[in-house]
Amino acid sequence: MKKVTGYMLGMLMGVSLLAGCGGKTDSADAPAQGGTNASANGGEIIGTITFLTNRTDMVGEVYDDYAKRFKEKYPNAEVQFEAITDLDKTTKIRMSSGDYPDVVLIPTIPNSDLPKYFAPLDDLGLADSIYFKEFKSYEDKLYGISVGATTTGIIYNKQAFKDAGITEVPRTLDEFYAASKKLKDKGIVPLASNFKDQWPLYPWSSEVPTAIANDAQLNNKRSETDTPYTMDNAYGQAMSIIREMNQQGYLEPDINSTNWEQSKKDIATGKFAMAMLGNWAIPQVIDSGTESDNIGFFPLPYDNSGKTNVTLAPDWAYGVNKNSENIATAKAFVKWMLEDSGFDEYAGFIPVLKDKKPAVDQLNEFNSYEPVYIEAAADDPKTTDIVNKAQITKEALVQEFVLASNPQSVLDKYNKAWAKARKDVMK
Amino acid sequence: MSGSYKRQRVIILIAFLAIPLLLLGTFSYYPAAKLLYLSFTDWDGISSTVEFLGLDNYREIFSNPDLFGVFLHQIPYVLGGILQNIIAITFAVILNSRIKGRNLFRVLLFVPYIMNGVAVAFMFQYVFDTNNGSLNALLGNLGLYNLQQSWLGETSLVNFSLASVSMWRYVGYTMIIYLGALQSIPGDMYEAATIDGANRFQSFWHLTLPSLSNVIQLNMFLTLSGALAVFDLPFVLTKGGPAGASETFLLKTTETAFTFNNYGLASAMSIVLLGLTIVILLVQNLVLRRRGRD
Repeated sequence: MKKVTGYMLGMLMGVSLLAGCGGKTDSADAPAQGGTNASANGGEIIGTITFLTNRTDMVGEVYDDYAKRFKEKYPNAEVQFEAITDLDKTTKIRMSSGDYPDVVLIPTIPNSDLPKYFAPLDDLGLADSIYFKEFKSYEDKLYGISVGATTTGIIYNKQAFKDAGITEVPRTLDEFYAASKKLKDKGIVPLASNFKDQWPLYPWSSEVPTAIANDAQLNNKRSETDTPYTMDNAYGQAMSIIREMNQQGYLEPDINSTNWEQSKKDIATGKFAMAMLGNWAIPQVIDSGTESDNIGFFPLPYDNSGKTNVTLAPDWAYGVNKNSENIATAKAFVKWMLEDSGFDEYAGFIPVLKDKKPAVDQLNEFNSYEPVYIEAAADDPKTTDIVNKAQITKEALVQEFVLASNPQSVLDKYNKAWAKARKDVMK
Repeated sequence: MSGSYKRQRVIILIAFLAIPLLLLGTFSYYPAAKLLYLSFTDWDGISSTVEFLGLDNYREIFSNPDLFGVFLHQIPYVLGGILQNIIAITFAVILNSRIKGRNLFRVLLFVPYIMNGVAVAFMFQYVFDTNNGSLNALLGNLGLYNLQQSWLGETSLVNFSLASVSMWRYVGYTMIIYLGALQSIPGDMYEAATIDGANRFQSFWHLTLPSLSNVIQLNMFLTLSGALAVFDLPFVLTKGGPAGASETFLLKTTETAFTFNNYGLASAMSIVLLGLTIVILLVQNLVLRRRGRD
């Protein structure tokens, strides 16, 4: 079915890509050992720096404005934006080649590798006023500051709730199911799971269990056991909620045929009522065709206690290339992005500076339900190793759990893979 | 005089060959050698040190059914590929005759191949959508409600759905190859056959098909190696779902490398795929050559 040209080329490209990064590793160390050759410009905020970003949509638009305003503040400095789509992969490859821009979003590397590539940011004086200062730190030095914080909850269409006769947002799990039933009876799809796309299921295997367990270290503590997934622990409880929603018909009519782009429009128009996602999705839903006033946000009530915990998670973190020629400018840019750019408002983030109030109405509504925030903890490398070794995709676990006729057998399968990988990693 | 002409020739030959050879070496052979080396290590994608694992990665691939077992998902692509060759020969024969508008039909059949693979996948996302998809809508309008399916959601169906897209996409390409081969069969052989009283089917069976055997062999190789390396359709359309039912070996490989940072194992998987392609080629040559000798 395939033709030589396409696939052979694809295969060759894959080959060169995989191998290409290997060949370059040696050079990555060379500059690193040279130590930080502090800024060639001795701390003055001058010169041109480049920021490698994942927001392709902002290039030529909002970023032009940022560049202009940054130049107004620092007339001798200039910032350029380079946007890439596959941020994590691309940044890693460029870092291993030793050739990466002045400011990057730190890819998924172990924190112990941070000093090899990044300059400490402690001299910005932000360490005590930000969330997640431990997240990208190593040996008491801060190497990365998150671009913003996100929390996870139910994004809902207020008009759809009104049409279905729901006057108050559900505060307990029973109320949540009851509201879903009302919506379904009204012909509205209660919860958009975006099941097929897999990644939108992430809250059910990480954020919700963490909230249920009231333990930021829940995901990391998996490394202490051979059976991290059981029906009655936090993971089982969280996944049972979405399984129940599916069995009651409260998700899309065919969960294996869902469409993420379309679902945002459907929530905007009220064809779908809710989605369990991060607050980053709120602006996207509004942009899909509705008024901001019509979209609300509340914490998922995962039990009947009436009290809810929610997780506060970092997004990508800014990191400054330790070999940059204009380190001072790069650092000033990071600070400017956090304090002055207005990026968190544009992107719908909770500001990472603790004192800054979120600019998004929905977040203020969310906070009015008084959830208890659990600040996410950095991934423990040992747990990450086990996950990688066992090749566990947490969203795939949710998919299998929801689809299986016997969910216990799915947990058994994952526990088995976990135990095997744990043995290899721990030895 | 002739000596300097000869030298000139040699210099020009070397000069012209050097650049392509350099490119070939840099972008094909060196990466391939590096890949082979990495497949014996535990490289994680960024670390500057690697540990040599010997054959551990290969042992893992062949002993872990989660990795090697996904080849079962690719059988529908092989079946689809065989069907694709039959359809392509049929069209090639028809469009090789002097029918009206044959150039138009050739273009129409070839167009899907020119289209970007990801665009094709997105297009079929709308065709196969259970609730709003055009395929189910068509079946509904024809009154065939019981044939409406969750085309990409049914574990037993999803690989056939994907294989059918692949077939649609490549049938034109396969046809063009057959068409080229058909046109190289001398017309006087058909004339001779007609004079000897052969009907159209007989001349197809005894004259056309044997003349095509080399090309059929080529197309079968392309089909099989293609089926081994399916990637873009499941990657865009299903992400390997539902619950892993449409994962392919190449999808697993990229996942191993880029999601789970296990470049060593992923390199070994690429080498295994390369090995399997070579094995298929050898077996096919062996079978066909033996048949040719009989």
